[in-house]
Amino acid sequence: MTTQLHKTLHEEMHFFGGKDVDLCMNCGTCTVICPLARDEGGTFPRRIIRLIQTGQKRLLVKSLDPWMCYYCGDCSENCPRQANPAETMMASRRYLTSQYDWTGLARLFYKSAMMEILTIVLVGLFVTGLFVWFHGPMVLSFPVQLNTFAPVKWVELGDWIMAGTLSFFLLTNAARMVWNTLGGKQMFGISSLIYFKAVPVFFDHMFTQRRSRQCGSTRSRSFWLKHLLLVSGYLSMLVLVLILLRWFQTDRIYPIYNPQRLWGYYATLALLYPTGAFLISRWRRKEPIHFFSEASDWIFLVMLFLTALTGIMVSLARVNGFPMTTYVIYVIHLSIAVPMLVVEVPFSKWSHLLYRPLAMYLVSVKKAAAAVSLKTQTEAATA
Amino acid sequence: MNTINNSQHDHQEPRIGVYICRCGGNISDVVDVDRVAEVSRHIPGVVVAKVHTFCCSDPGQNTISQDIQAEKLDRVVVASCSPFLHELTFRGAVQRGGLNPYLYEHANIREQGSWAHKHDPAGATAKSIRMIAAAVGKLQYSTPLDQIRLPNHRKALVIGGGVAGMKVAADLARRGIPVLLVESSGRLGGRLNQWNRVFPTDTPAGQLVTKLLAQLDANPLVEILLNCKVTAVTGFVGSFQVTIEGPLGPSGAMTSTQTTIGAIVMATGFKPYVPDDGEFLYKKDPGVVTMPEFIDLMRGQQTDTGELVYKGRTIRSVAFLHCVGSRQIDGVHTPRADGKINTYCSRVCCTTTLQQALAAKERFPSLQVYDLHQDIRTYGRGHEDYYVRAGKAGVVFFRYHGDEIPRVALADGKRPAEPSLHITFKDYLTWGEELTLDVDMLVLAVGLMAGDIPDLINMFKLPVGEDRFIQEIHPKLRPVEISVNGVLLAGTVQGPMNIEETLNAAGAAAVKASAMFLKDVVELNPYVAQVETDLCQGSGACVTQCEYDGAIVMVETQVNGKTVRQAKVNPGLCVGCGACVAVCPTRAINLNGWRLDQYDAMVDGLTADIPAVAAATS
Ligand SMILES: Cc1cc2nc3c(=O)[nH]c(=O)nc-3n(C[C@H](O)[C@H](O)[C@H](O)COP(=O)(O)OP(=O)(O)OC[C@H]3O[C@@H](n4cnc5c(N)ncnc54)[C@H](O)[C@@H]3O)c2cc1C
Ligand code: SF4
Ligand code: SF4
Ligand code: SF4
Ligand code: SF4
Repeated sequence: MTTQLHKTLHEEMHFFGGKDVDLCMNCGTCTVICPLARDEGGTFPRRIIRLIQTGQKRLLVKSLDPWMCYYCGDCSENCPRQANPAETMMASRRYLTSQYDWTGLARLFYKSAMMEILTIVLVGLFVTGLFVWFHGPMVLSFPVQLNTFAPVKWVELGDWIMAGTLSFFLLTNAARMVWNTLGGKQMFGISSLIYFKAVPVFFDHMFTQRRSRQCGSTRSRSFWLKHLLLVSGYLSMLVLVLILLRWFQTDRIYPIYNPQRLWGYYATLALLYPTGAFLISRWRRKEPIHFFSEASDWIFLVMLFLTALTGIMVSLARVNGFPMTTYVIYVIHLSIAVPMLVVEVPFSKWSHLLYRPLAMYLVSVKKAAAAVSLKTQTEAATA
Repeated sequence: MNTINNSQHDHQEPRIGVYICRCGGNISDVVDVDRVAEVSRHIPGVVVAKVHTFCCSDPGQNTISQDIQAEKLDRVVVASCSPFLHELTFRGAVQRGGLNPYLYEHANIREQGSWAHKHDPAGATAKSIRMIAAAVGKLQYSTPLDQIRLPNHRKALVIGGGVAGMKVAADLARRGIPVLLVESSGRLGGRLNQWNRVFPTDTPAGQLVTKLLAQLDANPLVEILLNCKVTAVTGFVGSFQVTIEGPLGPSGAMTSTQTTIGAIVMATGFKPYVPDDGEFLYKKDPGVVTMPEFIDLMRGQQTDTGELVYKGRTIRSVAFLHCVGSRQIDGVHTPRADGKINTYCSRVCCTTTLQQALAAKERFPSLQVYDLHQDIRTYGRGHEDYYVRAGKAGVVFFRYHGDEIPRVALADGKRPAEPSLHITFKDYLTWGEELTLDVDMLVLAVGLMAGDIPDLINMFKLPVGEDRFIQEIHPKLRPVEISVNGVLLAGTVQGPMNIEETLNAAGAAAVKASAMFLKDVVELNPYVAQVETDLCQGSGACVTQCEYDGAIVMVETQVNGKTVRQAKVNPGLCVGCGACVAVCPTRAINLNGWRLDQYDAMVDGLTADIPAVAAATS
């Protein structure tokens, strides 16, 4: 089969941060050096770079390789042409995120930081507006009555509406990822047993990010831990806010050792510390993964940091009995958290929380399916 | 078996000294050198036989020179290493002792003795003795010889006025040697007149030519003949008679002139490969051009429009194809008329291509530029920069295999605005996938071919290599000399080179040529044929046999008042191959230094019944 070349792809890649693709002379050093390509029998990152150079969009969209890379930067370190393959892998993840997304918003946000910020501001103002017009009575005596100001059942309802909407977008995008990478209709040819058997792979990688630890020599040891901490903080918050909100948002002040408070503090710290560390690392360009920062990277970290920071401030104000402060910061907190989730979860960087383990899952499905088809082929041949 | 016996010869009994070298153990660890000396003393004619640890050392050489005086020696043998190493050394020692240096023989008992027969010391010892006996035998018939000294005409001829020829001429003239520079076209500079800016400096090619021209103009010792050709040559190193034809003189009419020349430098350059009609659609579609044509069209382009326009068409995409006419593979490429294919790499086309691709991309940023190569051979200083910069500028590279030549077809559904050429190839950077490119223009990066100089090749008997270029004696040790004495090579007449390499070669040729003019005579070794006039019956068999024009000719001479035809050797042209010796029916020809009676004596020496040898071997 002959492939027609699209020359626009690698120009388009510039928007996603893949600015050095042209420098690559295809020597293959990066692929040899990559600790992760090695055990996948992989051909990335050179293969991905080559797809971009020659404009083979169809194959790029089909590829799961970008999700196999955890950005240790070893490849970039060793590239004789300073072609920055690691950043190209990052750019291709951004590109794929925008390709999976059918709304076109992901693409819009990656291409224009202004649009992303504008959307965040508008959603934030909308949330603020809701509270300004619909908040409950503001009780200014002690103890602080947050549930009177913002009754938990209403907040919970809002939570669920938002979670439902975002899940819809995220899951439909993920479905497109599955469709693209399993070869469209071919995916129905794979037995459901294979799909089922691979499920543990998904959770394994979601909760451990084991592969990140195999990542190269330049990466600091604590990176994996920080990242894991961040994910645990994140998932804790999701559970607390979506499932346990009635238990979590109370007016009663429990003793400090009560799980309600301990868990909340843990989650806050688990968010604040890594995001703060990553922000500093990006600013100072400490780790290879943080050498190059697109606007979307900054927005994600800053919003996450502010969400956690305002969250803990609400708690402190409430426990220490500052009603007005509590209510105001509560509104600010939600006006940051909500737009962050709306923009990031289905349309931007957050989505990798789902795409990465899903990619690992799909790889193992593909492998199993290939093994089966090879077996049937040889059986047919010998019969 | 013959016993060595000199009594049959009527000349005075010789006094021969034999010196046997230990070579610091290299020889003496295997060969019993003391025994060799002992036996050698008994070979008739030998008066001294000594062993020395290093004959080639100063004390070793002094022993020889002093013995010649003290022992009244008249001939010397040194049994040591290969004559390639020290024959000249010992000839010098003999000469310092007051003897003619050709009354010396060398016996190689190291390479042919101790090293060859490491595991057979007795045999090696016996063989060494026999080799010395042969040398002694030969020496008995040796006569004093002198180097041939021929007049050296202090004038050089440079054929070809490209940068190579210009540089040779300028360098020679600067050293005070008159130069005649003969150029067949109407202009100096050669191919550089066709190029634009040249790698690796991006200097305008014209600027280089102008600089060399200024050097030539400034020196009155340089005579330049344009539109001229060398049509005949006779003679030999030091005095070639050269005929030059062309519009000489003010009238401009074709005339011919003769001149005598001491040394000649060939600098006739190369010609670019010209694809066959239809090869990659060359000449079938106007979009297919060769690299020289592309350079030419780039030179004529207006940059301000921002568009590359060729023959009225706007070119939006261009592909460069490497190795056209180079690195061809047997069974894949069609041979040329002479049945050969060009298997060699032309060396300059990779960097030229990258330079041109980069220039195209820089001047016309919206142009899509593709590069199809087998390898990128940017081997010289600064060449790789073009590769890096071309990549950075957005040139997209593909790699094909030499035995899977990209196919070019006219794109179908052709509308005027659409690319006309459809290139299909397997790209090994994309894991061997078959890719297609549609482009408006295809540039064939043609290689270098040997120039068309059959007349010069015939005239000078120039050695032609498998690749049709003129071949040097040794690519490393004697890179600008050829087997024809007095003729040197400069530049691409010898093989693909870039300008830098061309000028280096030209500089080397100029130095070699000037060295030839250090003396006003040319000295050649005396091993040439000699006709014994008493014996020559004038059969002429030798002249027929001789491969070297003019080395031996029939002349009329007076013998006893009668005019007879006899052979006569021209020592300047004779190379001493001995072919004539073998065919002469009357054994009238001998090679000086290797006479037939010397051979006889050597054989006698080798087979002589030397009792001690027999004892050693048993
Ligand atoms: C497309 C292309 C681009 C190139 N670009 C570069 C570059 O950018 N940089 C670089 O370093 N090198 C470049 N080269 C190589 C460069 O052209 C050569 O190194 C250089 O021209 C060699 O000079 P020359 O004097 O040996 O031969 P030539 O330039 O070929 O000159 C030979 C001269 O001899 C004359 N002649 C031929 N036959 C006779 C005869 N029988 N009697 C008298 N005169 C005769 C010819 O008319 C000519 O003037 C390029 C080569 C090609 C093919
Ligand atoms: S990105 Fe660098 S290391 Fe990788 S193939 Fe390209 S040039 Fe080589
Ligand atoms: S950044 Fe690390 S994991 Fe990613 S491709 Fe490069 S070497 Fe592999
Ligand atoms: S220099 Fe390059 S283009 Fe020219 S023959 Fe050699 S490999 Fe081919
Ligand atoms: S020795 Fe060789 S070159 Fe010399 S005249 Fe005889 S045949 Fe010719």
